Amino acid sequence: MQQQSFIIQSWSVWPPLSTEKEMVAQSEKELLQAVPKMFKRRLSPLAKTVFCAALSCETETSKLPIIFSSTHGELAKSLAIMEAIEAGEEVSPTLFSLSVHNAIAGLFSIAFNNKNQITVLAASEEGMASAFIEALGLFQEGEKELLLIFYDEPLPGFFPSKPYQVSAETCAIALKLTVAGEGQKISFKQASDSARESEQPIQILQFIEFLSDPSLQQLKIKTPRHSWYWGKDEY
Amino acid sequence: MSSVIENELKQLIIDSLDLEDISVEDIDSKEVLFNEGLGLDSIDALELGLAIRKKYNVRIDAEKDDVEKIFSSIVLLASFIESEQAK
Repeated sequence: MQQQSFIIQSWSVWPPLSTEKEMVAQSEKELLQAVPKMFKRRLSPLAKTVFCAALSCETETSKLPIIFSSTHGELAKSLAIMEAIEAGEEVSPTLFSLSVHNAIAGLFSIAFNNKNQITVLAASEEGMASAFIEALGLFQEGEKELLLIFYDEPLPGFFPSKPYQVSAETCAIALKLTVAGEGQKISFKQASDSARESEQPIQILQFIEFLSDPSLQQLKIKTPRHSWYWGKDEY
Repeated sequence: MSSVIENELKQLIIDSLDLEDISVEDIDSKEVLFNEGLGLDSIDALELGLAIRKKYNVRIDAEKDDVEKIFSSIVLLASFIESEQAK
């Protein structure tokens, strides 16, 4: 893969970095006022986190194609369904409808009447890189700007995770990517060295550190098949 | 006369459909429940069907019952449940 480049026009993390819990709750409430009331009841804490990251990154989301990327989605809901079946109970239709991997994307698109292409990736061992490749594909097809949203929440304890690093605190990051204009220019490339280091939930935190720390010029993430480089380009 | 079951149903709707900001007094027994009125949707219809089955042991059969009519208001839903229980 040749080195690619794109521009991060704006980005936003939820919960916001170094903000008090009460402040976060308050700004979450304010941001979610944009969501119709009958809709809000369907939003899980993770869905709210995703909505807030997206809305604080870009207010006019309805005009953009969106790529969502999550390793586990809302796996706790699938687990709750399986436990209900095991206990001989009937499964809640609402819980089932919200347990699928594209549930949050579906809620978001309906809430903000977004009729553009929306993709939801289940980030596997490659982690965050897959969504950037998807974004480059959309740019290749002629899109000028898009929203990229990464999110994950802690893996339910039921699932064995060791020795893999696949669980971190609930976090979402939204990036508005463009091919031209103002913003942080980013280069993106692949290399052949590989290692099993971490998956998306951990990578999100590394990516946030890379974007927010001016002294960091490059981020390298090794995965079992490749390594991926993101670099801040000066001009 | 049927206001006990009507209020029960209102509470059941609030609890099973997560209508956090709504109280029993806010729901009019004659109000349209779906789309217009209270604004419930098709997932809510399935969820409410399940909740009614659990609480009243009454099954609403989409093949043989007039689901649209039964779910159109609290009054009609209550009378359906009462007539089914009387069988």
